[in-house]
Amino acid sequence: MFRFLLKRLLLTLPTFFALMFVTFIMIRLVPGDPIEVRRGERGISPERLEELRREMGLDQPVWKQFGDYVWGILHGDFGTSIISKTPILHEFATLFPATLELTISAMIFAVVLGIPAGVIAASRRGGVYDQSLMGLALTGYSMPIFWWGLILILVMSNTLGLTPVSGRVDLIKFYYEPVTGFMLIDSLLSGQKGAFWDAVHHLILPTIVLGTVPLAVIARMTRSSMLEVLEEDYVRTARAKGLSTYRIIGVHALRNALIPVVTVIGLQTGGLLAGAVLTETIFSWPGVGKWLVESIGRRDYPALQGGILLISAMVIFVNLIVDLLYGLINPRIRHAK
Amino acid sequence: MPSDTTIATQAAPPGPLRAFWRAFRENRGAVVGLAVVVLIVLIAIFASVLAPHDPIEQYRGFTKLPPFWMEGSDLRFILGTDAVGRDMLSRLMYGARVSLFIGIAVMAVSMVMGIALGLTAAFFGGMVDVVIIRVMDLVMAIPSLVLAILIIAIIGPNLTNTIIAVTIVGLPRYVRLVRASALTELTKDYVIAAKVSGVRKWRLMTVTVLPNCLAPLIVQAALGLSDAILEAAGLGFLGLGAQPPTPEWGAMLADTRDLMSSHPWVMAFPGIAILITVLAINLMGDGLRDALDPRLRRS
Repeated sequence: MFRFLLKRLLLTLPTFFALMFVTFIMIRLVPGDPIEVRRGERGISPERLEELRREMGLDQPVWKQFGDYVWGILHGDFGTSIISKTPILHEFATLFPATLELTISAMIFAVVLGIPAGVIAASRRGGVYDQSLMGLALTGYSMPIFWWGLILILVMSNTLGLTPVSGRVDLIKFYYEPVTGFMLIDSLLSGQKGAFWDAVHHLILPTIVLGTVPLAVIARMTRSSMLEVLEEDYVRTARAKGLSTYRIIGVHALRNALIPVVTVIGLQTGGLLAGAVLTETIFSWPGVGKWLVESIGRRDYPALQGGILLISAMVIFVNLIVDLLYGLINPRIRHAK
Repeated sequence: MPSDTTIATQAAPPGPLRAFWRAFRENRGAVVGLAVVVLIVLIAIFASVLAPHDPIEQYRGFTKLPPFWMEGSDLRFILGTDAVGRDMLSRLMYGARVSLFIGIAVMAVSMVMGIALGLTAAFFGGMVDVVIIRVMDLVMAIPSLVLAILIIAIIGPNLTNTIIAVTIVGLPRYVRLVRASALTELTKDYVIAAKVSGVRKWRLMTVTVLPNCLAPLIVQAALGLSDAILEAAGLGFLGLGAQPPTPEWGAMLADTRDLMSSHPWVMAFPGIAILITVLAINLMGDGLRDALDPRLRRS
């Protein structure tokens, strides 16, 4: 197991290095010199320009600049935002818990509904339940989620007044210092009455919107995986033994059918971390996705560069964990060449 | 090049095409999907004939008109007008053109590049293979929408660049698919026989192996088409895709938020258009997969 872990870990290193290279190149490809972007409309004297160039290391040869960039990243220096003048890593660290909270919540939503839906569809193959559930799943899979979010806001918030439109908590009614960065936990810790429920209310719509596509994917995957497993000999044996359908499906088949589903869950989680871009934009959710989009609008290229590197690193990390878990569940993977 | 493939298709008793159609026809959803896709394609092609108005003409006196079944509507604008008085129906029709154009362009370029890179990786192996696969892995490591945003940030937001960004993001799936199926085919007897009889590499790649890799590729292309349309619409929604006044469905949704409560139809129609199109393509894609890939065929 240890060798497998080490091997997987080593395999991610070149990817991460290449990622640093890509983001480094990117900032050089962006139209306009970083200094020009910074100096704005007014313009600056040639002396000051020279000084700035030296300050930012732009007078050095490119390979040395790349070396410095990598050196900085290895020491936790991902650059400084042009607009807020704070270190990117710090900004990312403040925003990331919001994205993570939303991602986890969406994933729980998708798994809790998706697996039962897939199981029901598979056990009633070809029936009304199967067809309607799979129809719904395909619709969810085809849903433009930014529109889905708008529709939900229109119906749930604007018309029925059930949920708030944006943000993570009502900042006028409740204020407390972030401790963990997870609003659900912080609101509980604050001890303020109603803060927790307010945070939950804020989380509902974004969770549904972000969770819809993974829900559909998980339901479809569970169904096809179940169908495959239900044809196996051991299921027939279990039937022959006279076990109840409930037990055959719930215990014998589901356990084996879940292996590919776990992979899909992992892959989807990685995608969600980043896919939150649209959801966060719609719900003004103060996470890294919204921040990235805004960085483009503000031409804050260092933030974009650092942010993309950090998000990709997170996704690589999640995928790594999924691989390890998978190796843990399924020894055949672990021992493959 | 086509001579021996056509002979092959006619030699098999029912003919693969007819067998495929029979299998495809079994799936009712897929047939409905195909019909809707054909309809949307026709609308897109004949948008200039069918559309009652110019999609970017602003009728200043007729802003925010509701669709025909609501009070205060004007039958000259069947589905109403948007915030600046442009005809919704016409914009939707021309929007089909834009979305399908993006989707098909992405699909075509991805197919060609996927086949070229995938076959090269499979046939040449060694360093070439390692480099291609590593680059594709890297592209896959970055989340798709984030990568698309990054690319757009570099090359700027417009229709062509949307196509470029969405193509790059989706390309690894095509390359890996072609490479994997080509590698499987390469171990089969008929390829070895062709090699022994002295078929040259180029011919081996294009005539002997490629046709046998097409089935999964066609399925991927169908699913890739719907993904591309969704992703392009997402970029449009973020203001990073087609720029106004282009009637792109995603971009049409971008600034409808303020109108949402008072004039919900302005927001509803473009979304429905995206949903129906993508859903129809996915239904068709599922049918294609079931018909082309017997292993996954439902009984």
